[in-house]
Amino acid sequence: MTCGEFQKVLPDIMEGQRRAEHAAHLQSCPACFGLVSDLSLISEQARLLQASEEPSPRVWNQIEIALRQEGLIRQPGRDRSLVPAFSRRWSPAWLLPVAAILVIAFGVTVYKGGHSPQQIADNRAAAPVAMSLAANSNDDQQLLEVVGSRAPSMRTSYADNLQNVNAYIRDAEQTVQNDPNDEEAQRSLMAAYEQKAMVYEMALDRSLP
Amino acid sequence: MTDARKPQGDRLSESEAIERAKQGDAEAFQLLYDLHKRRVYSLCLRMTANTAEAEDLTQEAFLQLFRKIGTFRGESAFSTWLHRMAVNVVLMRLRKKSLPVVPLEETVETEDEAPKKELGAPDAKLAGSIDRLELQRAIEALPPGYRSIFVLHDVEGYEHNEIAGMVGCSIGNSKSQLHKARMKLRELLKTSRTGRTERASKP
Repeated sequence: MTCGEFQKVLPDIMEGQRRAEHAAHLQSCPACFGLVSDLSLISEQARLLQASEEPSPRVWNQIEIALRQEGLIRQPGRDRSLVPAFSRRWSPAWLLPVAAILVIAFGVTVYKGGHSPQQIADNRAAAPVAMSLAANSNDDQQLLEVVGSRAPSMRTSYADNLQNVNAYIRDAEQTVQNDPNDEEAQRSLMAAYEQKAMVYEMALDRSLP
Repeated sequence: MTDARKPQGDRLSESEAIERAKQGDAEAFQLLYDLHKRRVYSLCLRMTANTAEAEDLTQEAFLQLFRKIGTFRGESAFSTWLHRMAVNVVLMRLRKKSLPVVPLEETVETEDEAPKKELGAPDAKLAGSIDRLELQRAIEALPPGYRSIFVLHDVEGYEHNEIAGMVGCSIGNSKSQLHKARMKLRELLKTSRTGRTERASKP
């Protein structure tokens, strides 16, 4: 058997269809032996790549947001009001979704279209205030403390989520600052605020006993 | 954001998580995601060679699964169901982008694309081990059609009859393209090593 004849049937040989003449050729031909060894090694090593990579936390965040928006996540028996009944046990926690609502309300007020040039100029001045509200590290820290006290293993995940969504808000705010009339940018900013509010709401859900 | 990890004694099994996910339990969804995210994401990444695209496809695959979870009856393994869904999501995306999922049977390859046939000439082997990163890069460098078949067969473990059904080719074509993919990878790996050796030997 020549090397050309051997390599012509190599795909079948690699699938396990090996005959005596193939084995005989392999024993006598270092080149073909090396080729088969290499192809087998590549195939074996490839299997180790299965499930070898980890997606970023953003992927689950997006999935969870979509599931909630589509109503596929349902939490029976939970009070989903964003202003829970007054209780000493809840007193730190009620601030958090309220802060989120304020963020969104402020964003709507400042960045909604249809303003006069003077109002746009005023809005530009107000933008840094919105930025400080949207990315308020005190509120975020308070959130993380509550999450940490109720579900310690989730604290890091929430910290990452807040970091990501705050970066999203900063980028969106910058874009709107550059052009307050850009409606697309305004929509992106609204989406960013909504995402942050969602993070707060999910944290509240998780922190419920 | 949710953490479905519980103390050993309270740990949800996959089947329990599936039933609870059907009721809308957030932690159950996350448990199912955590159990299978690496396999799905790795598949998407290998097939597309693009991190952002792989994340989008992973998200899409899981969302499709979770939307249909109410219909899962357990006739097949959950992981099989999810994995097939992920493969379909990826293949549909590749088709939308008009990327060849599988080259034609008698593809006219350019000289650069065709794996070099070796006819008895002694040649350096890959010598017993392949660095994982090297192999990843080589897979990324494969033409898309070769890459799909190689990933589905050698990485993910599908048989040729399954691959043929998924991508819409013959079993013979699947075998042929797999062989060409492996030959091309061998060539890429040896080129990469030769380059490294030459750089290392320079003063």
